[in-house]
Amino acid sequence: MTTMAARQKPAPGAHAIQIDSLRVAFGDFVAIPHLTFIARYGEVHGVIGPNGAGKTTMLDVITGKTKPKKGTVRLDGTIDLLGLDEPTIALAGVGRKFQKPSVFEALSVRENLETALRLKPRSILAELRNWGDPRRVARVGEVLNEIGLNDQADLSAGSLAHGQKQWLEIGMLLMQKPKLLMLDEPVAGMTEEETRHTADLVQRLRSPERAVLVIEHDMGFVEEIADRVTVLHEGNPIFEGQMEDARQDAQVRAVYLGR
Amino acid sequence: MAHDQTAARVDRPLLFRIVAGTLFVLLVSLPVLGGPLSGSSAGVSPYVANIIGQIATFALLALALDLIWGFGGILSLGHGLFFAMGGYLIAMHMLKSGYVYGGVTPDIMTFMGWSELPSYWALFESFPYVMLLILVVPGILAFVYGYVSFRSRVSGVYFAIITQALTYVAMLLMFRNDTGFGGNNGMTGFTTLVGIDIGAPSMVVGLATTSVLVLLVAFLACGALMRSPFGRLLIAIRDDEARLRFLGYDTLWPKLAVWCLSGVLAAIAGALYVPQVGIINPRLLSPEVSIEIAVWVALGGRGALSGAVIGAAIISALKFWLTGFVPELWPFILAGVILLVVTLLPNGLLDLKLTFLRRASTRKASARPAE
Amino acid sequence: MQPAYAGCTFPALHLDLIMLFFRRTLARFFIPLLLIVASMPAHAQDRAAILTEICSGDFAAQQSALGQLASAGVEQGETGASWARTIVDAFEGRNLRCGDGMAVIDGDAGAVMAGTLEPVTNVDSASLDAPSVNLRLRAVAASANAVLRLFTEMEAAERLNAANYIDQRREAATGTNIGAALERETDPDVRAVLITLRASLLMSDDDPTNRIVAIEAIAEDATLRNRTMIAEAIKTETDAAVIASGEAALADIDQTLAIGQVLATLYAGASYASVLFLAALGLAIIFGLMGVINLAQGELIMVGAYAAWFTQEAIRVTVPGLLDYYLIIAIPISFLVAALVGLIMEVLVIRRLYDRPLMTLLATWAISILLINTVRVTIGSQNLEFHQPGYVAGGFPIVGDFIMTSNRLFAIAIAVLAFVAVVVVLRKSLFGMNVRAVTQNRSMAGAVGIDTRRTDMMAFALGSGLAGLAGLALSPLYNVNPGMGTGFIVDSFMVVVLGGVGSLIGAIVAAFGIGQINVIIEPIYGAVAAKVFVLLMVIVFIQWRPEGLFAPKGRR
Repeated sequence: MTTMAARQKPAPGAHAIQIDSLRVAFGDFVAIPHLTFIARYGEVHGVIGPNGAGKTTMLDVITGKTKPKKGTVRLDGTIDLLGLDEPTIALAGVGRKFQKPSVFEALSVRENLETALRLKPRSILAELRNWGDPRRVARVGEVLNEIGLNDQADLSAGSLAHGQKQWLEIGMLLMQKPKLLMLDEPVAGMTEEETRHTADLVQRLRSPERAVLVIEHDMGFVEEIADRVTVLHEGNPIFEGQMEDARQDAQVRAVYLGR
Repeated sequence: MAHDQTAARVDRPLLFRIVAGTLFVLLVSLPVLGGPLSGSSAGVSPYVANIIGQIATFALLALALDLIWGFGGILSLGHGLFFAMGGYLIAMHMLKSGYVYGGVTPDIMTFMGWSELPSYWALFESFPYVMLLILVVPGILAFVYGYVSFRSRVSGVYFAIITQALTYVAMLLMFRNDTGFGGNNGMTGFTTLVGIDIGAPSMVVGLATTSVLVLLVAFLACGALMRSPFGRLLIAIRDDEARLRFLGYDTLWPKLAVWCLSGVLAAIAGALYVPQVGIINPRLLSPEVSIEIAVWVALGGRGALSGAVIGAAIISALKFWLTGFVPELWPFILAGVILLVVTLLPNGLLDLKLTFLRRASTRKASARPAE
Repeated sequence: MQPAYAGCTFPALHLDLIMLFFRRTLARFFIPLLLIVASMPAHAQDRAAILTEICSGDFAAQQSALGQLASAGVEQGETGASWARTIVDAFEGRNLRCGDGMAVIDGDAGAVMAGTLEPVTNVDSASLDAPSVNLRLRAVAASANAVLRLFTEMEAAERLNAANYIDQRREAATGTNIGAALERETDPDVRAVLITLRASLLMSDDDPTNRIVAIEAIAEDATLRNRTMIAEAIKTETDAAVIASGEAALADIDQTLAIGQVLATLYAGASYASVLFLAALGLAIIFGLMGVINLAQGELIMVGAYAAWFTQEAIRVTVPGLLDYYLIIAIPISFLVAALVGLIMEVLVIRRLYDRPLMTLLATWAISILLINTVRVTIGSQNLEFHQPGYVAGGFPIVGDFIMTSNRLFAIAIAVLAFVAVVVVLRKSLFGMNVRAVTQNRSMAGAVGIDTRRTDMMAFALGSGLAGLAGLALSPLYNVNPGMGTGFIVDSFMVVVLGGVGSLIGAIVAAFGIGQINVIIEPIYGAVAAKVFVLLMVIVFIQWRPEGLFAPKGRR
């Protein structure tokens, strides 16, 4: 198995993820021509932009699903993510919540959470043997509380409502206490109430030792939770800064309101 | 995706117990009914015992496929390969031991014009050695093929097609006389196994009983395994492998583990089958046979071990019965059964059971194990 | 009969007397004879000489006469050959009778003069002897007869018989007389035999120059047979120049043969690839569009082949005059019948199994069993007999031993036709656009109002129809029976997997590659080895590039 880099304690304000000169192309289609991006520990960083702007592609590159043509991606300033495979990147402290809820429908809520915690990252066998480890049980209890799914703990995940599935997924990510938590459209398809609940959840996810990346369309949601915002358009960052300023920026307006 | 209760997904506990119980009863009664009571009206003739034994090996084979398909989400259309491997290994053992201890020259030597058996037949007269080989050789093949495929993320339909192609090619190779395994005549003419004459009624009943025993043990063991965290990991892989990888699991190894286990179980089934039919030939490697295994599992219900056993039992029993007096009709019946199951009962016969055993309060199940 | 003294010198003594004596003899005997002889047409002089020889009891003379008779056609054409043949026939039949300084042929209508073939009345032919014919002479005579038949027979078939006979019994054949016959010959089959015959005769000619000419002539037709002929000839050759010429010729032939061999392999590969391509094309479209792997594709091929056969039988019964065109007429029929079967499959079964590709595998396999057994039970398991119209029989010799057989050409033509048609349909028609839209993004296509169900149905029908065309294309090449489809299924899958799902170009390239490999390996290591190799190659390739050669771009 591939080696995992030691988990250093992140320092607030330091670069959690650093992307330089990234270029991603699928055949002739250039998804991201040239991207430089930084997210810092202790922050919630929103990434917005129209469809096809390259937001999900960016996440794909970070988690190792897509290989870029050029550029570097560094975690904690030192760990080069481009050479690693997905499980290793995940174990290095990167957590990702997908656009469509991807929980294990056939397993119960509790079992989903249990699976999400790697106490023995080096060996699956050891992990299986230590499934009943009290630390796991305790952590599952904690997270269940956080996401508010205590009552549904033993129901199969497939029977949850859409919004509940999203929270379960976030809960699964929390199990690992990731350094970098990336949420891809966490409130897509949610009701007003569910959106508010999710906003609360995200706020509670905030931690000086964690960088949270939120990709969203819903500008209101982003405004509420994000400290900084990056606006992407056709794979290029056209704005970076505070949400209020983003609304005023001419280029952003042009892109969002049409040409 | 499944909307039913959690515990149901491995196997309805009641059904599991029913099947296990039935097997146990069978295990205990067969030696009696087939032995001392054989002649009486309640007894079981060696012929019937033999059929039961064969069905048990099929059920074991179905179990093996269900492990990887029902739980791991990996369909193999070439499991006949492992089955045949076990069969050929035991055949070689019986021929060699008959030759070495009994002085009976195997037909294959005359057929191939050998004055002595080739080097790779060495030690085959030893039963423990062959037992070891039956565990190791299919395991290694499964490991190599699985490693190469899973590592490059070949999955789903592609994987299924390639397993079919592999088995087909193996069949073509084995049909050739110069491959050295009997060509299209296969191997037959077995005399004894562990010292007892193959045709003796006690042997027939004994083999049948052993088959049922192995089936029962495998059934219980696999049930326990699937209920364990390992089983849950497999289900997670089946439902959303990418997700599991993003949680930090290198899914290659669990898949490989269950794939090898499946291959070895299939080989054991083959090793139990061949002495009961007295012959092995390359027809076992045909695509039809391998696909039929998938049909057993699909009919009974994927992802439920009892389903695999029940499906295999029903279809093989049907086949034995019907080919007895209307052999031309069998292909049509089989095709009809498959089409029915696939269109109307997506979860196989289990769908019928689910309607009965469901509690009123839960939602209507349109349970569909992920492909 | 020429004056004997021309050019001699005599002793001076009694010169005048001697000269006087000879002049008088000449005047009295030879000059009249000379006048008579000179008044005869030139060939008559030869005829007389020949007759004298053949009538003599001298074996060598008779043989020589027969040889001259055989060559009668060389300078005297048909008339001479005709006369010669009469003589030879008479000789063989012991109707030629000689004596008293003349030769007579005893015919049904009475005796004729052998030299002129005019009837004679005052000769009792029974009193004349027929020259004896021993075994050896008989053989020579028969051979001569055959040679002469080359000049005299009207029917090409007769001449062909004669030529083949001479090939076996060459006693009276020489480079010259066969050469002369060749010059007159128009029928290609007879020419072929004569050319080879003459060349091989010339190869044993005494004159080395002729032998070299012969070798070069033979070498022009670069076939394996000729190569062997030359190789055999130079084994016993002594003249260095001839050997050198022979070896040069061999090298040339080998080169041409090699080219021919390569072309033949490419061609065979191309035709197999065409069939594979047709079979896989349908599969590729269906899989690319609907994610359905159709295990019944082989049986749709079978349906197409059977449809072609039914067309043949129907034409045979209704308009037998059009029988030769059944293959053409069957093109739309095979397509439509297979498409219909596919349509039924789709509507009844596949439609319900959309998001479950593995279940579809099982279902289509069940359908394939159903189809095979239905055909078996209704029509029977025997191979079907196909009439071979002229345009599918035979072929075009190209280079060396490579003949471009028409049946393979037919398969390639159908494949090209189908490919063009599919490209046109996909690019230019509304239906094609719908298909491409649904392939790329089903939900979006549905959202903009495309009837995805209908598109699926029609696309499945199209894919099935293409399989039917494959069945038609291969009916002149392979056996047609209920189980024929199973042989193609594994290969078709390999093509789709290798070429990349949903890619037409991929299917072509992969089909061609796999077809060629099969054709190259099969003659050396056998069909099984070829399949093994292809399979291993595909497996290895997939490891490196799981999406195939030309995977469609973008996210699915």
